[in-house]
Amino acid sequence: MNNRLRNIWRPLWPFLTAALTLLLLLQLGHLRTPIVIPSISAVFARLGDELADAAFWHSLGASLYRLGIGFPIACFLGGLLGLLAGLSRSFAVYLRSLIGILQSIPPITWLPFLVILYGFGDVPIITIIVIASFFPMALSVMNGTEGVSHTHIEVAKVLGAKKGQLLRKVYLPETLPAFITGAQVAFGNAWRSLIAGEMVGSAAVGLGFAISFSGEVADMEGVIMYIIVIGAIATFLDHFVLEMLKRRLLRWRYIKGGGDR
Amino acid sequence: MQTLELRGVGKRFGALQVLKEIDIRIEQGEFAAIVGPSGCGKSTALRMFAGLENPSEGQALADGVPIEGPSPARMLIFQEHALYPWSTVEDNVGLGLELAGVPKAERIRRVNEVLEKVNLGGFNRYYPSQLSGGMKQRASIARALVMDPDVLLLDEPYGALDALTRLSMQNELLDIWSGSGKTMLLITHDIDEALYLADKIYVMSARPGQIVETIRIDQPRPRDRSSEAFAEHRRNIMRLLGLED
Ligand SMILES: Nc1ncnc2c1ncn2[C@@H]1O[C@H](COP(=O)(O)OP(=O)(O)O)[C@@H](O)[C@H]1O
Ligand SMILES: [Mg+2]
Repeated sequence: MNNRLRNIWRPLWPFLTAALTLLLLLQLGHLRTPIVIPSISAVFARLGDELADAAFWHSLGASLYRLGIGFPIACFLGGLLGLLAGLSRSFAVYLRSLIGILQSIPPITWLPFLVILYGFGDVPIITIIVIASFFPMALSVMNGTEGVSHTHIEVAKVLGAKKGQLLRKVYLPETLPAFITGAQVAFGNAWRSLIAGEMVGSAAVGLGFAISFSGEVADMEGVIMYIIVIGAIATFLDHFVLEMLKRRLLRWRYIKGGGDR
Repeated sequence: MQTLELRGVGKRFGALQVLKEIDIRIEQGEFAAIVGPSGCGKSTALRMFAGLENPSEGQALADGVPIEGPSPARMLIFQEHALYPWSTVEDNVGLGLELAGVPKAERIRRVNEVLEKVNLGGFNRYYPSQLSGGMKQRASIARALVMDPDVLLLDEPYGALDALTRLSMQNELLDIWSGSGKTMLLITHDIDEALYLADKIYVMSARPGQIVETIRIDQPRPRDRSSEAFAEHRRNIMRLLGLED
């Protein structure tokens, strides 16, 4: 096997075996109660049908649109707050308390409040995505900023860095790993609250809506297919897209060490 | 080029008196060294010249003018190389020029020039993690040299290196300094290093740090580490530091 192929294969096979295990369990369930639980082949046949149906793409598009707005806003907001908290001790104390309170309220709890405020549609869902996912980002960046090496800052000062240059040349690159870790945790939160929000019903389109609709009409094939779709998309975005971004941005971390240490 | 001077300098961190009544004056182009026990305030004194620390009493002066903050004319070389792990050698060394807004082509030309000078030519695209300890410290010296400073302040630059690397780095440092007219101030816990390199050695006492003796070394360079004069100075300094009767 050549190197490139191996690099793709190595992170892939654990996922494939894990996915296979779950599908196997499904198949076992099918063998036990064939009337209720559809077979793997039936589910995939259904997936094939849906992929050819514009309605499926419409609901996928609606979900990704909400994620595509909510998640970046959460990352930006969380990053900014985390950076400020990393620089100011008193703000850090405040932010930690705020996050402590927000964490004890499940994000979905905000939905009725937001629906009354904004009505049905995208805004309440996008808002709970932001609420649910800004704080892992904020916490991670706050810790990262507090951990910025004092010597690294002094090096830049001696070389003549002004405030803005310190931020760009030291704080940002040094906290970049924290931004990325934060984004990865935030993504999980964002995805969960997106689907939950759509299921609880602030929208009449989206993956969460589609699965809960399938449930209401006792369409088990559809339910299982949507579980697979939801899981596959999140796994792909988290473990492949974000992971690749991480390796690209933090190239220096993955470079092979030479020298004596 | 600059003279460096501490005039009646004292320094306290809270209740901790670190430096007391320090008077030193280093002439333009002179190579001075400070030796003293660990924790006696050597780095603190050096950092005053770099503009990173203010005296509690007295004045820190460069060319007779009180030091207000860092200046590109006075470069500090840190104890641990302190290179940015996320930047290549070229970007690390070019940082000061980049901050000063020097255009890229000119920056790279000057970086290459100074990398050649410290024997790191061709390592532009390496990350610090790919370099040996000695190479990292060379890169850190290059990062200071590229600014063409009047003053080089070195805080135990070779403390973390093995003995052989240290000896060759000392010669490289002499090559960099000789004929450059730069004023040098080196902190070291290696008495032989100070004797081999410096024109003038300040011996400091334990905290609160005071200058207990200023020793002039007039031997021409390169110096013979096994000469009688060298041994005599070494004994003297050891005695001053209370390491020998
Ligand atoms: N910013 C600071 N705040 C408080 N104490 C400090 C600070 N910088 C240095 N010190 C203390 O001052 C003393 C002298 O430090 P330093 O100048 O680094 O000594 P040396 O370089 O001679 O080993 C040490 O006891 C150190 O703990
Ligand atoms: Mg020190």
